[in-house]
Amino acid sequence: MTFLNVWAAGFLGIVPVIVLLYLLKLKRRPLPVSTLLFWQRILQESRRRSFFQKLRQLFSLLLHLLIFALILGALAHPTLDRQISEGASTVLVVDTRARMQATEPDGQTRFTKAQARAREVVRQASSLRQMAMITVDASARVVTPFTDDEKALRENLGKVSATDASGDLNRAVDLASELLASRSGARRIIVFTDRIPDPKPANTADIPVDFVTVGTARDNLAITRFATRPVLNSPQTSEVLLEVANFGQAPAKTNVELAYDGQLLDVKPLAIEPGGHVVQVFPTVPRPSNNARGWLTARLDTNDALAADNTAYAVLPVEPPKRILLVSKGNWFLEKLLAADQSVAFELLTPDGYSAAIAAKFDAVVFDNFVPADLNLASASGNFFFIKQTPFNAQEPVIDQPLISDLDSRHPALRLVNLQNITLLRAAPLSLPKTEGWNWQAPIRSFDHPLMITGEHQGGAPRVAALALDIGDSDLPLRVAFPLLISNTLHWLIGEETVSVLNRRAGESLPLATGESVQIEPLTPWKKEAARAPKPPTARELFQPLANGFYAWQTHDGQRWLAVNTFSEMESNLRAANAASAESLTLPAVSLTRLAGWPLWQYLAAAALLLFGLEWWLFHRRRTE
Amino acid sequence: METPTAPLLFDSSFLAKLEQLYLLSKKLFRGAHRAERRSRQVGSSLEFADYRNYTLGDDLRSIDWNIYGRLDRLFIKLFEQEQDLDISFLLDASASMRWSPEGSGRLSKFDQGRRIAASLAYIGLANLDRVNVHYFASRLEEDLGLCRGKSQFHKVLEFLRNAPALEGQTQLLPSLRTFAQRMKRRGLVFVLSDLFDAQGFEEGLALLRYQQFEVHVIHLLDPAEVRPTATGDLRLIESETGEAYEVTASESLLRRYHAEVDAFLTRASTFCTEHGIGYAQATTEVPFEDLVLRVLRDGRMIQ
Repeated sequence: MTFLNVWAAGFLGIVPVIVLLYLLKLKRRPLPVSTLLFWQRILQESRRRSFFQKLRQLFSLLLHLLIFALILGALAHPTLDRQISEGASTVLVVDTRARMQATEPDGQTRFTKAQARAREVVRQASSLRQMAMITVDASARVVTPFTDDEKALRENLGKVSATDASGDLNRAVDLASELLASRSGARRIIVFTDRIPDPKPANTADIPVDFVTVGTARDNLAITRFATRPVLNSPQTSEVLLEVANFGQAPAKTNVELAYDGQLLDVKPLAIEPGGHVVQVFPTVPRPSNNARGWLTARLDTNDALAADNTAYAVLPVEPPKRILLVSKGNWFLEKLLAADQSVAFELLTPDGYSAAIAAKFDAVVFDNFVPADLNLASASGNFFFIKQTPFNAQEPVIDQPLISDLDSRHPALRLVNLQNITLLRAAPLSLPKTEGWNWQAPIRSFDHPLMITGEHQGGAPRVAALALDIGDSDLPLRVAFPLLISNTLHWLIGEETVSVLNRRAGESLPLATGESVQIEPLTPWKKEAARAPKPPTARELFQPLANGFYAWQTHDGQRWLAVNTFSEMESNLRAANAASAESLTLPAVSLTRLAGWPLWQYLAAAALLLFGLEWWLFHRRRTE
Repeated sequence: METPTAPLLFDSSFLAKLEQLYLLSKKLFRGAHRAERRSRQVGSSLEFADYRNYTLGDDLRSIDWNIYGRLDRLFIKLFEQEQDLDISFLLDASASMRWSPEGSGRLSKFDQGRRIAASLAYIGLANLDRVNVHYFASRLEEDLGLCRGKSQFHKVLEFLRNAPALEGQTQLLPSLRTFAQRMKRRGLVFVLSDLFDAQGFEEGLALLRYQQFEVHVIHLLDPAEVRPTATGDLRLIESETGEAYEVTASESLLRRYHAEVDAFLTRASTFCTEHGIGYAQATTEVPFEDLVLRVLRDGRMIQ
């Protein structure tokens, strides 16, 4: 026997309460009488039978406990294993992917139609024909395990809604096959969708799969890409890229509106050929500052079949300035350069005041012509940038007027850096260390002598860079390459080339670190009402957003925002829809040799009701007390 | 539940009706004074009793000259001596007599008993009998003292009005034994009680009978104790002792209770009949005047 509602066992905790209530003394109504003579006489015989009286009370308690046990049993929804294994088993797969939100010409969504068709099938659930329900969006999940409870199936079906996520229908069919694998009797999978996957899912277990299709082919415009990136040579602005696709059979004209923190920023007209894509770039979108947070919304001014892909969301990252420590006796060029870079906040320290404890508070430390005596790179945990005097200086004479022979322009530290025709008065020759667990490179060389060394520990941190030049002995500070080289190197040291996760596709999982949480409902963050509204519940381990929008993400570094979009041509292409199934699906009759009838819980409930009536009758006739 | 004492009021028409009544006595008791009740003594009333032979010294006025004319012998005509009768009312004043069900609006058994006693006392006083009233519960308490003549009726009423609230359970035997010892003359005794004596009522009544009293029992009852209707989980509190008794009253239990009460009433009635004791049930639901004018007459207590 299997109990479908195991949680009902939790009610067993009420048993001691019943016994306690039973032991409590009955409060009797006081009634003055003239004499007790007659009462005493007639009850003398009853008192003599006190043993039987106690038995009677015990019987009453047992009767109560039995009624309670029967109710618990009914709640636990017991099902005979034989009933489970021998009856027909049907798995209903309800498609809840974004495309199911598409509106049909009659005004109903495909999902509503699919729900109605599924409801017709659910009505046929019985103890002989158990059903389970699976929904599929980005992942397939069991909504209702095998049950004969038509009401539970209907209720769960009513609670399901279409999501904004994209997904694979075959996964759901596979899951349904796994569910059915252990069951004997007639098995069947019924998929409610708008499109039969091509090719059809491979059926390894010979389980018939029926597709109940809804919807018709519809034209649709969709935003398929919406991305931002910082403009390196303009730290105050970002570029925004938008891609719109036309999945219709006719050319489409529309406007795309770009909103920044809910305020309209730009509107551009678009003309898209059937089946074509248009890419639109917004080059000068301001980066977040004190007054602007950077919530970007793109909206197509169209009223097509699927609304979910007409709006896209993106977030401009807000990075706090990185903390840089400059250890120097005085370097005018470096100080001016670091002060001008708004992406960093630097502090100056003389070599006398340096200590490892101070260095640990900064994202990177720049040593200008100074190497701490107690520095041990093998055990260091910070990021260091040595200039002129480095731990890698070779025991060789200084190179006079070195020529830069090799420049690895693919190295992040040398991005956009042009060192041609640069005049170097002298340079200290460096030697590449061979520390185990480190990856060392020499992106700038003068023939056999490395002029710049970079190294990173396995795993990406810590990082070390060394430049064997005296900045004052060259014309480098006068070149554009100087700020680029220093800035690139510092950002490489800090590890900023890793793009922060601020955008996700609907249905894509976001693993959360310990202490992180995401509010599971999208917000309209720029509206004051949203700030005043009670906070929605939060996810704490793994977050799988199923609706497009902005999500508040609480990280260790403060609150960040996550933008979630559908961005799936498969979901947006509504032309690829099968013709709707016409007739309703009638499941074949189940013939078993055993008796048919009600599910077991109904028998238990009926028995509890019967015993309750008996107890009531006995109590009112004072057979039990 | 005990009710406050109800006033004893009798209107003149009712008293006029009472004057027509007469307390019946099967026995003839020797009286102390001349009165209106026949006695064994030959006296000077108008009621003819017998003849006897003339002897010297007899009053010549008593000779029946008609008989002498016919038989030529002297006979003396004897007339009955009408004497008074001692009538005692023993009124049970225990707490059970003062109980009446809450909200019933009925008189308590004690009040009913006082009214009956007053009425019968009036009848006795009107017939120039000597009337006394006694209270009892667990023992015999103070009495009124002998009264004679209608003029004493206010004294009887005053005594009944100021009835003491006696404590303790009804104990008929010690009370009636004391009464029998205290009374020098035998006479008519009315016992007004609910007979709820845990030791039994029989011995006490039999003692009176043995002591040559003519006894009448007026059995006072309340319908609520004869036919109780309350069901459910009850905590019964006895009015006399305050003792509590827990009962879960069902229809079947009530039926058994009714049977037990019926058996008690039958036992009381049968005992009285067998021992030549007048017996009448007087429930508090019967109007008082009805009770005196009809029920007691039917019970051959008054005429």
